[in-house]
Amino acid sequence: MDRRLFSYINWGLLIFMLLLYLLGVGNLYSASGTRVGGGMVFSGFYQRQLIWGMCGLVCMMAAMSFDYRQLRNLAWPFFLVSILLLLLVPVVGKTIYGAKRWIPLGFMSIQPSEIAKFAVLVLSARLLARDESPLGWKDFSTVLCVALVPCTLIILQPDLGTTLLLLLILGGMILFRGLRGYVLKTCLLAAPTVAAFMWFAGMHDYQRQRILTFLNPGHDPRGTGYHILQSRIAIGSGRLWGKGFTEGTQSQLRFLPERHSDFAVAVFGEEWGFVGCVILVTLFCLFLLSIFSTAVQAKDRFGSLLVVGIFFYFFWQIFINIGMVIGLMPVVGIPLPFISYGGSATLLNFTLLGIVLNVSMRRFMFKG
Amino acid sequence: MENERYQPPRNGVILLQVLVGMLFFVLVTRLWYLQIHHGDEFARQAHGNRLRHERIFAPRGRILDNNDKVLADNRTAWALSLVREDCRDIPVTLTQISVWSGIPLSQIWEKYQQDRFKVKAFEPLLLLTDINFDLVALIESEIYAWPGLKVVVRTKRNYPEKDMFAHVLGYVAEVNEKEMAADETLAMGDLVGKQGLELELEKQLRGQKGLYDVEVDAHARMLGKALREEPRSGNEMNLSINLALQQASWEAFGGEAGCAVVMEPDSGKLRAFVTSPAYDNNLFSTGISKRDWDALRTSNRFPLQNRVIQSVYPPGSVWKLLMTALFLERGISPRETVFCPGEVTLGNQVFRCWKHGGHGSVNMESAITNSCDVYFYLMAERIGIDKIEEFAKASGFGRPTGISLPHERSGLVPSREWKWRRFGRAWVRGETYNTSIGQGFTLVTPVQIAVYVSALLNGGDMLKPQLLENDGRVVTGRLPAKAETRNFIVGAMRKTASAGTAHVVYRRDADMGGKTGTAQVVKLKMGAGDRRLRTSEMEYTQRDHAWIATWGSKNGRTYVVVVMVEHGGGGSSVAGPIAKKIYDHIFGPAQDTPARGAQ
Repeated sequence: MDRRLFSYINWGLLIFMLLLYLLGVGNLYSASGTRVGGGMVFSGFYQRQLIWGMCGLVCMMAAMSFDYRQLRNLAWPFFLVSILLLLLVPVVGKTIYGAKRWIPLGFMSIQPSEIAKFAVLVLSARLLARDESPLGWKDFSTVLCVALVPCTLIILQPDLGTTLLLLLILGGMILFRGLRGYVLKTCLLAAPTVAAFMWFAGMHDYQRQRILTFLNPGHDPRGTGYHILQSRIAIGSGRLWGKGFTEGTQSQLRFLPERHSDFAVAVFGEEWGFVGCVILVTLFCLFLLSIFSTAVQAKDRFGSLLVVGIFFYFFWQIFINIGMVIGLMPVVGIPLPFISYGGSATLLNFTLLGIVLNVSMRRFMFKG
Repeated sequence: MENERYQPPRNGVILLQVLVGMLFFVLVTRLWYLQIHHGDEFARQAHGNRLRHERIFAPRGRILDNNDKVLADNRTAWALSLVREDCRDIPVTLTQISVWSGIPLSQIWEKYQQDRFKVKAFEPLLLLTDINFDLVALIESEIYAWPGLKVVVRTKRNYPEKDMFAHVLGYVAEVNEKEMAADETLAMGDLVGKQGLELELEKQLRGQKGLYDVEVDAHARMLGKALREEPRSGNEMNLSINLALQQASWEAFGGEAGCAVVMEPDSGKLRAFVTSPAYDNNLFSTGISKRDWDALRTSNRFPLQNRVIQSVYPPGSVWKLLMTALFLERGISPRETVFCPGEVTLGNQVFRCWKHGGHGSVNMESAITNSCDVYFYLMAERIGIDKIEEFAKASGFGRPTGISLPHERSGLVPSREWKWRRFGRAWVRGETYNTSIGQGFTLVTPVQIAVYVSALLNGGDMLKPQLLENDGRVVTGRLPAKAETRNFIVGAMRKTASAGTAHVVYRRDADMGGKTGTAQVVKLKMGAGDRRLRTSEMEYTQRDHAWIATWGSKNGRTYVVVVMVEHGGGGSSVAGPIAKKIYDHIFGPAQDTPARGAQ
């Protein structure tokens, strides 16, 4: 590998990412603590997250070590493998909380939908990069049809969050790429129909319930609304400066559900207050802007679109997760990158950033 | 070096910038709204989420007699509780409890089924309450093998004298929802006074609960607690009642139904307060069983009735003490005589004197000492019912005495208006006759008689009967009778004791007075030749009530003793001996009574 490449690394991105990851581990340390009697007992989430981070760094290095343009050739094989894995889930998957999403590998479980996210992203970048002009019907529907296959398989698991995320990433990439006027208008007109269809045919009762509860959280405070109310209490009670590290009462006393996964940021908000939250949000924005600058500076369309896809991958997760925790969004199972606990997600996050760094390193290279 | 650079779509670049800006703006605005604008409110909610308060029970004040003998205290009671969540196998555990305690498994199961939904799975459910120490020791030695079981310590109100003080002290029981609504310091499981002094003195006896701040998790499980307020125990109260005298009076009663009060006429203090039969007030402290409660409630001997203040009876001849005062106050001379032939005819009705052959010529004093009915019939007719009513009411009848016990009744002083209201009929003269001898409509409580007799002795003050040693004298009214009037009646009572119907209480070593009464419960239709049935020949509920209202004075100490025996028969034959035994306790055995004159 060319040594000059390292001088082109987007160091800002790397630093923001590492800061976010370390904040996440620190937050998990606090979130996994449970007050018992006078002391605290910590479960192993933060330690495991540290290990996942180490593995993630290895994945990131690996993702940086080759020319990203090779991904373009691997897009279809990747995609097909991910579809195969998704098809395997109903057969060998294990059921957790009523959903079959994981394939057990003995020492760990993998979540094929995470792989599918990556595969769809790469394939979409490839398909969208084909030509320069805004998308017409043909390109648009090709991309959509390709994405619908994994989306359908994922929504059957059921995993509404991941499906939505995939569609949103794709939508973001398409918007970035630009649509022809008539395609855009048709899409805007068709959106309500698709939404209605999703509501009645594509969702489970509990998913509909979550959205209804989101609209009126006080309705069922011990049931579905409990998550929302408790997370708002946790965050709101942090006030300006927060209650201090490991001092969050709502989280440590287990009022807050899923405080190490989807609701981890509520723990952060409770302990670090408004000041901490603004710093965190700012950090996320700087992080996104770093990715964004890489996308703008990429030397080819595929690289740019790939990075834009990754941008949206992070953007939507950040927006939906924080929005959900602070009561701006319905509760859907989407984790917050680097802050929520999760093995597969951490590996994927690091890998994707490896690709962004990969693109950024090679922005000044001559065309091969 | 410069490459032919790729130019990203301009709209796309703007889109990304807008999105990042929007992300920042929306999230920060919302965070500001939650954490700054509504932060205090959420902080309060969070506090409420986490902190609970746990009350620390304050020991209830003890109740003692006037010599500091314990009448009510608190004792430790052990209970066996089960936390369902921690219990591995509930049926087996319950079986083990049955083996330990010897209580049939079915009974334990029933208790378990009855209470299991009242507490959460992690909260203790009480299976055995008030278990004895031997059983506690046995269970404790094996409890390690039975997760979920725990011996818990509670306090229980304890009344060592049981029935003897049941109606004075009343009882405590767990607070009900109505009481909790009325007093916010009360909480589920608190014991509060429900009857008697336990109810009346609730404020003094209860004390003040302490407070723990308890930190809980989302499942309301306790994580730790900190003392915020120390509990303060309730006040100790001394009753005016003397345990030994109470005991003597109780024993004097034997198995009879009725009541006795011993009152100090100068202070109004009650030294004995017996109402029989009674109930064991310990039954209520940890919850009375339905069977016990039903037995008390449905007993035909009415053990729940506080006969001193809640039962109203016709006063019979005891009422003549009031009538005499009225006659004197109305200017009837004590020397004026009336001829008693044994009966008087009024229209087509015959009113008899209790003495079949008549008393012959009687004056006021002999009318009292011999309890001549005819004298009272004729004199009362002269005065009229309106004056009788007015005087009786002014003398404290027809209204509560104000004793510090719940549910005191007023009794009844009849009047024309009352009769019209009650029956829609006019008063007739014969009813004035009946009223004059304490029959007919007139109803009194025994404590009213004690207050009246005390007023005769203490200079005319009608006193609130006091049950507490440290309470001062409370005058509730003045007897509408001049000193001569009172002295005359006291003298007549003295004579009744020394040579009249109340002779049974007479003793040479003390100044004694009394008046008996035999109050008809049912009006027996008697033809001219019929003889009155003997008490033993009558059905229990048709037998007369026996009264005696007495006073005795020795070595400067004066006591009023009023005894009422329900369906006892004659005042002198049934109530009198009881009063005598009470005096024997107060003054020591009478010296002229050989049987008791051992010393």
